[in-house]
Amino acid sequence: MKSLLRTIIQVLFFILLAKLSDSLVIWLHLPIPGSIVGIIFLFALLEFKIIRLDWIELGSKWLLSEMLLFFIPATVSIINYKSLIAANGIQILISIIGSTLLVMLCAGMIAQRISERKERNAA
Amino acid sequence: MMQSIFWLVFTIAIYGAAKRIYRAYPKVYLTPLLTTPIVIITIIALSGVTFDTYDKGAIWLSDLVEPATIALAVMLYKHLDVLKKNAKAIIASVCCGAITAFLTTAELVHMFGLKYDLMASLAPRTATTPIAVSVSGIIGGVPTITAVATLITGLVGLTLGPLIVKWLRINSPIAQGILFGTSAHSAGISKAFEYNAIAGSIASLAMMLTAFVTLLIAPWLITFFQ
Repeated sequence: MKSLLRTIIQVLFFILLAKLSDSLVIWLHLPIPGSIVGIIFLFALLEFKIIRLDWIELGSKWLLSEMLLFFIPATVSIINYKSLIAANGIQILISIIGSTLLVMLCAGMIAQRISERKERNAA
Repeated sequence: MMQSIFWLVFTIAIYGAAKRIYRAYPKVYLTPLLTTPIVIITIIALSGVTFDTYDKGAIWLSDLVEPATIALAVMLYKHLDVLKKNAKAIIASVCCGAITAFLTTAELVHMFGLKYDLMASLAPRTATTPIAVSVSGIIGGVPTITAVATLITGLVGLTLGPLIVKWLRINSPIAQGILFGTSAHSAGISKAFEYNAIAGSIASLAMMLTAFVTLLIAPWLITFFQ
């Protein structure tokens, strides 16, 4: 019960931080989204020991483990694009799948090579 | 009001059930990000409710995307040493990945003979949604189409990523994280966390870097297709 209450309070802190970052972006006309500003800001708060990790760790764990749930409504919005899907859906899907495969091959293989070489050097 | 609360609770309930099924049968096609929307779209279509009505309740969930993204800072902080040690691998592979994503998407859309505005809408899709949407606006795309394309990208990465990891024997957590974070933004991060915490943190950093790189290179790379 106590940890549930703590999780809720900590999640509220993250919501507040998100609202603050959004207002800052609008106020200063920054060309980057509020979420990125929020990440940098929170990271700085932790790094300079202004807030302690255990004050917010429970909340961050819950938000990260339920992240997929927060994307569900946006996924459902696909029903607003029936005509686009009917006209070009297949081509769009093939483009996305093809390109995503290439990105994974390229990024994954380069990273695997570099970390293998690193392990060999360390051994 | 009652209807909004109903759709909110309904979404959470379906997601809870989908998660339980996925835990019992961890098959790629049973991933909750795929099964939950299918069930919800079917129910909405059958009951004749519009998306806007549904979204009045469900938007409470969408509003948590940004706080969850900011929570990634905690992961970055906790795994800072791993990130510092692997900075070279992360920067090299993410840059290659982001450029590949942009160019191959634009080229495929071009090959299919689709219009320029569709190309500009799809090309930034590998970046995280808020960045992809603003890049799309800058290079002449349609931001709402970009948001949907970004989402489909997440789904595709989530389902195909584990197969690539298996086939190419990508066993280093660093490389797994980079693969998921670069190709499938937040959806990829949640998948990377299923492997382990290090892969998840690396994926978070890869996602942010992919967003920055896309923001920087998009206006220049798109000129090849104009």
